[in-house]
Amino acid sequence: MPNEFSVLGKSLPRKDALEKVTGEVKFVADMQLPRMLHAKFLRSPYAHAMITKIDTSRAEALRGVKCVLTHENTPNVHPLGKFEYLLDRRVHHAGEEVAAVAAETEDIAKEALKLIDVEYEVEPAVFDAEEAMKPDAPLVHKEYRTNMYYGTEHGHAASPSPRWRKDGWLPLQVGDVDKGFAEADYIVEGVYESPIQCNCSPIPRSVVCQWAGDNLTCWADTQIPQWVSKDIAKCLGMPRSSIRVICNWPVGGYGSKQPEKIATLAAIMAKKTGRPVKAVFTREEEFVATHHRPNYKGYEKIGVKKDGTITAMSHRVIGNFGRDFVWGPEVMSASAAATCGTLYMYQNMKFEGAAVMTNIPDAGAMNGLGDPEMGFIVERAMDEAAEAIGMDPVEFRLKNCARYGSRSLSRRDVLGLSPDELELRPDWINWGIVGHDFDSLQECIRRVRDKSEWKKKWKGWKTPVEVNGTKRRGIGIAIGMHMSAYRPYSAIVKTNQDGSVIVMSMAAEIGQGIRTAMAQVVAETLGINYEDVEVLLADTAATPEGWGVIASGGTASAIPAAWHAAQEVRRQVFNIAVGRLGVKPDELEAKDGRIYVKDDPQKSITFREACLRGYQITGAYVNPNPDDLRDEKTGKTINTYACVATIAEVEVDTETGKLDVLRITSAHDCGRAINPQIVENQIDMGLVQSNGYARAEELIVDKDTGVVLNPDLLDYKLMTILDMPKMDDMQEIVVERPSAWGAFGSKGFSETGATSGAPAIANAVYNAIGVRVRGEHITPAAILEALGKIP
Amino acid sequence: MAVSISLVVNGEAHKVDVEPWWSLAYVLREKLGLTGTKIMCNNGACGSCTVLLNGQPVSSCLKLAVLAEGQNITTIEGLADTETGKLRPLQEAFIKYSGMQCGTCTAGMILTAKALLDENPTPTEDDVREALAGNLCRCGNYKRIVQCVLAAAEATRGGV
Repeated sequence: MPNEFSVLGKSLPRKDALEKVTGEVKFVADMQLPRMLHAKFLRSPYAHAMITKIDTSRAEALRGVKCVLTHENTPNVHPLGKFEYLLDRRVHHAGEEVAAVAAETEDIAKEALKLIDVEYEVEPAVFDAEEAMKPDAPLVHKEYRTNMYYGTEHGHAASPSPRWRKDGWLPLQVGDVDKGFAEADYIVEGVYESPIQCNCSPIPRSVVCQWAGDNLTCWADTQIPQWVSKDIAKCLGMPRSSIRVICNWPVGGYGSKQPEKIATLAAIMAKKTGRPVKAVFTREEEFVATHHRPNYKGYEKIGVKKDGTITAMSHRVIGNFGRDFVWGPEVMSASAAATCGTLYMYQNMKFEGAAVMTNIPDAGAMNGLGDPEMGFIVERAMDEAAEAIGMDPVEFRLKNCARYGSRSLSRRDVLGLSPDELELRPDWINWGIVGHDFDSLQECIRRVRDKSEWKKKWKGWKTPVEVNGTKRRGIGIAIGMHMSAYRPYSAIVKTNQDGSVIVMSMAAEIGQGIRTAMAQVVAETLGINYEDVEVLLADTAATPEGWGVIASGGTASAIPAAWHAAQEVRRQVFNIAVGRLGVKPDELEAKDGRIYVKDDPQKSITFREACLRGYQITGAYVNPNPDDLRDEKTGKTINTYACVATIAEVEVDTETGKLDVLRITSAHDCGRAINPQIVENQIDMGLVQSNGYARAEELIVDKDTGVVLNPDLLDYKLMTILDMPKMDDMQEIVVERPSAWGAFGSKGFSETGATSGAPAIANAVYNAIGVRVRGEHITPAAILEALGKIP
Repeated sequence: MAVSISLVVNGEAHKVDVEPWWSLAYVLREKLGLTGTKIMCNNGACGSCTVLLNGQPVSSCLKLAVLAEGQNITTIEGLADTETGKLRPLQEAFIKYSGMQCGTCTAGMILTAKALLDENPTPTEDDVREALAGNLCRCGNYKRIVQCVLAAAEATRGGV
């Protein structure tokens, strides 16, 4: 099949490769503008306090200080959602912004922070989610009388979800779980936890703001430029046409790049001083003042029959979303929809989720949003269910996993959004619609089983793969699913008179390779060279509307828009060719820079010639409303999920608890690999991050003060190259089951990698040592504790 | 109190006024405009800001600029041939095999690998892993990076 393509399916060099190997690549943090000021932020040392007095006079008197903002001279507005304040009198977590300074140099700005005198009245705070749910718990946001997100009876008026229960739980029930459990031969129950994982974006959050008259330009390090534009517009009362947000430089983001708040503060300071203002977070700020993957506690109950049939599942999940501002319901409903509501076939399922606010830093989006945290819980429990009936865990998953026609829930199903509310918040909806695209899950499982030699290695429950003195080897499997969000997106493809082409899209290049993949799709569609296509990304004044790059929507939504826009250009080019060649458009083909008659290839014009004659050929396209996408067979609306299966092999030293991950095999369905090398890189990203998730990564918050204890990369442990298996032992399997609507069948798959790696490791550790680790981490200490070797 | 120092960066001599507490990374980026040196952790934990100091890889965020006085510094901008712009085999390999994703760790990876290949032109996979153990890649591109370094070593041996 791939042989029919000239550009697609080839591992062509990334469009951004040259600039990245020469050091020419620029991030927002690298920008310098004439007369630019530098901004720094004063942060609260307390987890919960009222500012009773704030005196900036000493700071303002320091030479070189140009502007100091506090809650007293800043508009009382919410950049993002209800719970985020630009600068507030009340601080809700240690590390929240108290004041902002703009000065001639970074050194002066830092010095000025020390000269701001603040008096705090410290208030009781709560850090643990279950503590925060108690009726007498200190309130994170006093005005809401509850710490449970969307506890509507307590006066929270912002709920967009009619389904969220008044006591603050998001409930979901399919079938009759009591009946299901009654039919079960075995019921397994357990409490599992997942840690707070940090995005750790390589380059900390950064913005530069500059005004010209009433127009603002904001260079922002963001995955979602239009949110930055929208939120600045809201806070400053400006039309979006006067705000240009540019992030056509790359962003290393995994979900955290939302600089709305510092962008607004920098914009205010730039306006006040009449000078450009640059704000770049420190590494510490990246830990204490951006958002992380929430810690989940899951009460799982699964009923199974002896033949492996799941009769009922019950998931009760409590998520600690910290101070939060916007993400709680999004993450919780994503967990409910994909991992709980779609990944396995079921008749009876109950989900209850609580998104709880506490006085710790925000939780929010991170690679795989909602599914790695839920998957780490569900997939350990599923392993226990398979063991209860003595069934091979691979066979158990093959029997029960989702497939075409099995029940699938979308976030909208979960939240029960009404059409009016969809109107209100158009950019929040339609993450997952309804349907299939995960029919390949069984194929993923079979291929990962075969490639990993599971049948040879798996010796049965309670039997390690190999025992060598104190060292035991184990093998484990987990599956996963994540949205591949098809949603409204637009693109413009325009020709130049030399036959080269520019594609314009709101999707940012965050390292995932969209600039390259989009160029390949457009070049293939137009039958021209990859080198002749360039892509302009993420500039709110120049690129057409789109949703940014989250929810794996780049390949699922942005690229299809560009693909269709390119088809429109091709149509126009063919019309020009028709006049020259005297044939009908459907007799033409575009390849190798030529438009030729299929039956008589000698009759042709060059693409360049057509572009010259056309003067300016432009194709624009807006994805149809996802509601209009229907499954051909059933007529049902479509749900776009991507799926994965991962098998891990580990070695555990039962004396020291040391855990080595020896081999990882992971199969992903990407629909069609636009650039196979980049596909594998994206798979590896998920595997490396999920290794860290299982074994080491955790934001540690002091239980008494709420202060983050490890806000640096020495104490917050990322996986190094030595923590990962060697080249031959990292096996990525690319499954290509074409999607019905993605460009050339491609799907958004990049985040699935994060979902199944951690539970696969946990299950392999169980196979090695025979004791379950149900807590947040599979660390040496946790292993020794499970083995009863330390208390 | 600013101190005047001289630095030889990518073969070019510079006189710079620096504060005694400024790191080499800061001076390269903010005073010489060499922003190819990226700062990820700013405390020596990640290797992103690696430059070659007299041929040896150092974390430039941990090195005070004043302590680099008079020394020879190579940044990523100085790796390609300054006359012809011809890329090094390492750079070619990183392009060919997509050794980068977001691009933050790339300069540090390439420079650390260069120091390895200068010392050991025939490294094994384990040698490469050992050499790059101090360089973090949050995008998890390790496997590909090892492939790039081994390919570059081979290309160098082949006289490419």
